[in-house]
Amino acid sequence: MSELLRIKGLTKSFGRKRVLEGFDLAVESGRVYGLLGRNGEGKTTLARILMGVIPADGGDIFYKGRRINYGESAYKREFGFVPEDPFFYEDMTVQRLLAFNARFYPKWDGKRAAADLERFALDPGARIGTLSRGQKLKLGLAVALAAAPEFLILDDPTSGLDVPTRQDFLRDVIRELAASGTTVLFATHLVHELERIVERLLVLRGGRLILDEDFDKVKAEHQASLEDIFVRLVAGA
Amino acid sequence: MFTALVFKEWREKALVFFFELGILALLVAASFAFRDNADVREWLVFAVLLVFFPSAALVLGASGFDAEFRGGAWAYLFSRPVRKSVVWPAKLAALLGLLAALWLAYLTVWRADPGMADFTGSIRVLLGRPYEPGFPWWSVGQSFFMLTVAFSLSLLHDKPLNVLFASLALGLLIPAAAWAALNGWVTGYLARTDPSKSLPILLVSQVLAALAFAAASFLTFVRSDFSQPRRRMLGFARWLAPLLVLAAAGAAAWLLLSPASVERYMTLMRTTGGEPCFLTERGIFVSSGETGRIRWLAKMKQSYFFHASVAGGRAAYTFVDIDGRDDIVEELWIADANGRRRVIGRAPRENEWPREAPIADLMLSPDGSRIAILSANIYGKKSWPRRPPLWIINADGTGFENVPEDPALFGGADHRSYFRFVAWAPDGRGVFIHKEIPKWRGVSSIWLYDFDRRAARLVRDNATLASWYLPVSPRGDSLAIVVGQKTPEEPGSLELLDLGTMEPTNIVGTAGEIDRVVTPVSWDPRGDRLAYVSRRIEPGGQAAYVLAVYSLADGKSVAERPIARSESVSRELSPSWTADASRLVILDRGVDALRFLGPDLEEIDRVVLPRWMDRFSGLRIVGEKVIIDNGETRALWRYDLAKKRWKKVY
Repeated sequence: MSELLRIKGLTKSFGRKRVLEGFDLAVESGRVYGLLGRNGEGKTTLARILMGVIPADGGDIFYKGRRINYGESAYKREFGFVPEDPFFYEDMTVQRLLAFNARFYPKWDGKRAAADLERFALDPGARIGTLSRGQKLKLGLAVALAAAPEFLILDDPTSGLDVPTRQDFLRDVIRELAASGTTVLFATHLVHELERIVERLLVLRGGRLILDEDFDKVKAEHQASLEDIFVRLVAGA
Repeated sequence: MFTALVFKEWREKALVFFFELGILALLVAASFAFRDNADVREWLVFAVLLVFFPSAALVLGASGFDAEFRGGAWAYLFSRPVRKSVVWPAKLAALLGLLAALWLAYLTVWRADPGMADFTGSIRVLLGRPYEPGFPWWSVGQSFFMLTVAFSLSLLHDKPLNVLFASLALGLLIPAAAWAALNGWVTGYLARTDPSKSLPILLVSQVLAALAFAAASFLTFVRSDFSQPRRRMLGFARWLAPLLVLAAAGAAAWLLLSPASVERYMTLMRTTGGEPCFLTERGIFVSSGETGRIRWLAKMKQSYFFHASVAGGRAAYTFVDIDGRDDIVEELWIADANGRRRVIGRAPRENEWPREAPIADLMLSPDGSRIAILSANIYGKKSWPRRPPLWIINADGTGFENVPEDPALFGGADHRSYFRFVAWAPDGRGVFIHKEIPKWRGVSSIWLYDFDRRAARLVRDNATLASWYLPVSPRGDSLAIVVGQKTPEEPGSLELLDLGTMEPTNIVGTAGEIDRVVTPVSWDPRGDRLAYVSRRIEPGGQAAYVLAVYSLADGKSVAERPIARSESVSRELSPSWTADASRLVILDRGVDALRFLGPDLEEIDRVVLPRWMDRFSGLRIVGEKVIIDNGETRALWRYDLAKKRWKKVY
């Protein structure tokens, strides 16, 4: 497997609070990464930096061997992003949002978008401001998937989903993506959700990775559930 | 992508836009409804230009990033594969497009209703521009400026109403402060009173301030961390402060380095030693016959010369010191032929100078030793104290004296009156004054104020000057006047007034077929002959304009010839004598040529005028050079009789 993404010495602070400090990561293509960390440990910050939403204070990010600078946009055509807090233009309709996004992504799959709307029971004519949080998450997922990304960042997206959708999402969508060769970075604090899908486990604490191992190896070493492993690691045990 | 973003903005702002368009339609409809009420229509035009468009621009601009603030759409937008450096211009372009559409709608109505243009003219007066009806481009600039400021600030705050008021405050405050500072402190009185520069400096300040706001906003948008509002705000302030300083410096530089703000003007004063002397915004110069070049008697930069007089190889002139608004003084200067000059009177610092009122006219004595001064308090402005208006001062600054007033001459004068020095008496003991009081129709008269007797004497009643350029003979002993011709269209007779004896000599009168004298007349360089044009009614009732030469020695006209059929052509003839008095040159617009006439007025040469020389206001001859000034462009052209070549000399 080839290296898709490499992060070197990434740092980010908000005021006096250091969120990421010397964060390093190498992501290989076609794998599903699970990023665990307690609330406020920097998972969302990392996702936002990768998506160019906010700038990093320091460090380098390489995508397919090329350095990415803040403000660049071309690489995002191959990125998908489903955030924890669904943010959209509230006054747009679902259909308008999809049409708006279609202009940005060369591999945009309109049929897939339509199918996902149906699958998630989303009304194309509904104004986004009237959608529930769960519906917005589904819409975000539909948008991200229609863009046919090579690298999908999921920032704790399942916490607002209803149980059937979450099951559907975890079981079918992620596996489908993994099977198609899409690299997935799934950041969450809901540990048990990763257990069924993750290939490589990342644990974030104090602004840097304290674990970066294949999940099977981690399980074999610790002989415990992922939840127990996580608790031990983040508790400093 | 840019297009997609623009369309997205238009969809978002469609409601605001159509709301504004509706209000504009109501205002325009009201204007048509009150078609017969000029006051209401005027206020409606004011409302559209001064209230509606700035407000519409502010509302549009302030809502620039409103959609991004709602629902945290910043993150959504920034995570799309589109560069921030494209998003910001796309948004601004979309909003500018909406404002332009509103203006386009108004422009269409404007075109359809020409009456609207007249109303904006009066607004331009308020802004310091002369009355000039036309589409109010200043208002367009103002609204686009407001939009840019509001849009620039809208990325800092999530509440459009707050942004709107902040933009209104900053949008008005910054240009106003820049305008006041630049006009009041940098260039003082001149820039403030000069209508050609006061509005442009406001517009330049606005454009540069708008660019500063836009650049600070753009850089903040592209480089700031939008998850940290405080840092974003500080980042914007850090960018804006130096950019505003640069904008202010740019506006100041523009003000100082742009061409002279005073309006270009050039007036022929009179001749000194046969050389025409011109008053311009750059000083006073003489067109030299010897060198064929101009020689400066007084050279200045961006100055106002209100009155000047040349005689005896000297020039006396008034000059307004514009160094500071609180220090406005009118100075009286005297310059020698060699260019040396000095101030001999200044106001209001020096108590002896009667500067309650400005100088209305001045005249150097023929030998250049004394200056007669007429104060404007003769015109009765309330703030000017009533005191005798006539003053006299030696050219070296001594002997300053306010001579007593003679009610016969100055009584009954008001702001409509007109007094002008005509000539010094040949013996230097008095000065001739042309007086005209319009409310007493026909009371245009020539007076002599006698400095010895301290009294005025009516020399010729119902008389006016036969040329705007003081038709005193070169020897200074005779004055050509037109008597009885109250207006240029009425009958009148041409007379020569002996300035020594005060005796008039009739040259051509209303008797017979000649019914009118067409000014200006022209003295030959020796003062022996006078060329003039008169209208003659032929037997068939047709008017013919006849050029004639009157000889003082012979006491009659010695030559004449019909010269034109048209009054306008005859008025532009500007007959002028060559330096040796052997030929008379006329500017004949009927054939577009300079015509050279011999002693019997037979044509001996003709020079066709170049096509690009289409407007003239005067013709003088210096040596072998014909000097023509263009009244339209205030330029001076020279035709070299020897080389037969045209050249622009000023």
